[in-house]
Amino acid sequence: MNKIMIVEDDKALCEELSLLLEKSGYSVRSVKDFSDVYSQMISANSDLILLDINLPKENGEVLLQKFRKKYDTPVIMLTSSAGDIDEVVSMSYGADDYITKPYNPTILLLRIAAVLKRSVKSGQLQEYKGVIVSSIKGSLVKGDQEQVLTKNEMLIFQLLLDHQGEIVSRDELMTVLWDNDEYINDNALSVNISRLRNKLADLGLQDAIETRKKQGYILI
Amino acid sequence: MTIRDYLKDRLIAYFIWAICHAITIIFLLAYKVGGQPIIVVTVISIMAVVSHEIWNLNRRKNFYNIIRKTTEELDQKYFLSEMLSEPDFYEGKFLCDTLYSCNKSMVENVNKYKKKASDFREYIELWVHEAKIPVASLRLISHNNLGVVSDKVNVQIKRIDDCIDNVLYYARSENAEKDYNIKEVSLKKVFSNVAVRNREALQLSGGNLTTYGLDREVMTDKKWLEFIVGQLMANSMKYASVKRPLEISVKAKEVDSNVILYFRDNGIGIVEADLPYVFEKSFTGHNGRSNSESTGMGLYIVKNLCDRLGHGISVSSKENEYTEFQITFARNEFYKMS
Repeated sequence: MNKIMIVEDDKALCEELSLLLEKSGYSVRSVKDFSDVYSQMISANSDLILLDINLPKENGEVLLQKFRKKYDTPVIMLTSSAGDIDEVVSMSYGADDYITKPYNPTILLLRIAAVLKRSVKSGQLQEYKGVIVSSIKGSLVKGDQEQVLTKNEMLIFQLLLDHQGEIVSRDELMTVLWDNDEYINDNALSVNISRLRNKLADLGLQDAIETRKKQGYILI
Repeated sequence: MTIRDYLKDRLIAYFIWAICHAITIIFLLAYKVGGQPIIVVTVISIMAVVSHEIWNLNRRKNFYNIIRKTTEELDQKYFLSEMLSEPDFYEGKFLCDTLYSCNKSMVENVNKYKKKASDFREYIELWVHEAKIPVASLRLISHNNLGVVSDKVNVQIKRIDDCIDNVLYYARSENAEKDYNIKEVSLKKVFSNVAVRNREALQLSGGNLTTYGLDREVMTDKKWLEFIVGQLMANSMKYASVKRPLEISVKAKEVDSNVILYFRDNGIGIVEADLPYVFEKSFTGHNGRSNSESTGMGLYIVKNLCDRLGHGISVSSKENEYTEFQITFARNEFYKMS
């Protein structure tokens, strides 16, 4: 389980953020005492830090700069300013990503997952029940059988696979698709899922994707 | 200052001189001085007046002409007093001094208001910053408690967020400070950010989105352009037709080395008579009268931001059929160099 540290001085926001991350299966630790954030950042030994820019004692950007000199733990900056300057400064100080409030929760989770994935060297090819998933070629291969997936189908399958055994809501699927410039509507999503099911069935994987009424889909 | 003006101005002085001279001649005649001495006195007197007048005319003429020419040429007329060198006659000196103190008082006054405006703007920025925090909390609360209402709640949260952004960008667009950052930006990225942010609202309204040719880079400020496109999208949803599902189509084309972004919807459109005024402040027009959400500020801010970024924006529409906005990005090689 990945450990995430939250440095955010607004209590309500911090609480909800912890809740969101815990629900998504991260272990969360949030900073309560802002008199010495830096030493807490070091001692926490977390896998990722969410760092607010406007903090009571010390500016988040200054903290980041100090922290980056010695440690390479991934850091995502959170801020409510809509200006470009903070973004440029943060990135130049070595932030791994930068998200403005109010963030879309699904996108926040995606970004966190992406940053964590980047920091752990992961193999290019994933496998699912004897099927090799190649996201680069956009295809599923089983033995000498190959099924080519469309971009949409691949995005959906990838998300389900990353959360194998967990329910993925339609909302999350939609957010990911839209985030990848596929502006499809509700009906199109259903069509894509049923096509994906057929393709999986052709590879001998019947009923791999289950529908959970009013919740979403799950890859078994 | 022409000679005519000058002569006209001095008419009374000549009149007085003529009377005095006439009296002198009467006296001379009374003392039985006649003939040649009178002519000599007259000639000397005329010579004195003419030479004095020529000298006087010259130095004034130079001074006044400089004033007139500089005022005509100056873009900001109030710089006049800084452009003048002090003349050697009293009225000129007096005028210069007065201009100088008027200017000084005006500059002080303008600075007072500048300070007030920038204080207010700073406060707005701070306020926006503060207001975004509870909005962020609300979004997370809604996400952490998924249910039937959360979609609707999200749409309303989005509306609050849009209103907050409106205030921020209005404050930014009205102020002279240059706080945009122009660089090469992908239209695709900008549009997808806006689309994701508006997804819930679009889906609830049953809208459809198609894009074409957005794989282009333009020189702009990313955040500002996102706000602009977001405004257009919000408008499309606000003025959707009830007769058919909303279709928004966005495409980009290269025309004469400019990139043009077309943003088109199939909404209720804009009445032809209203078209020339849609970018004006507080103009709500025909659509505004039938929609209470119109403030007449959205497009005004959009136009203002476009002007400051150097983008052209225009609109075409047919009532009950479509509305199309065109944003023109100049392919500015100058920007790229820096």
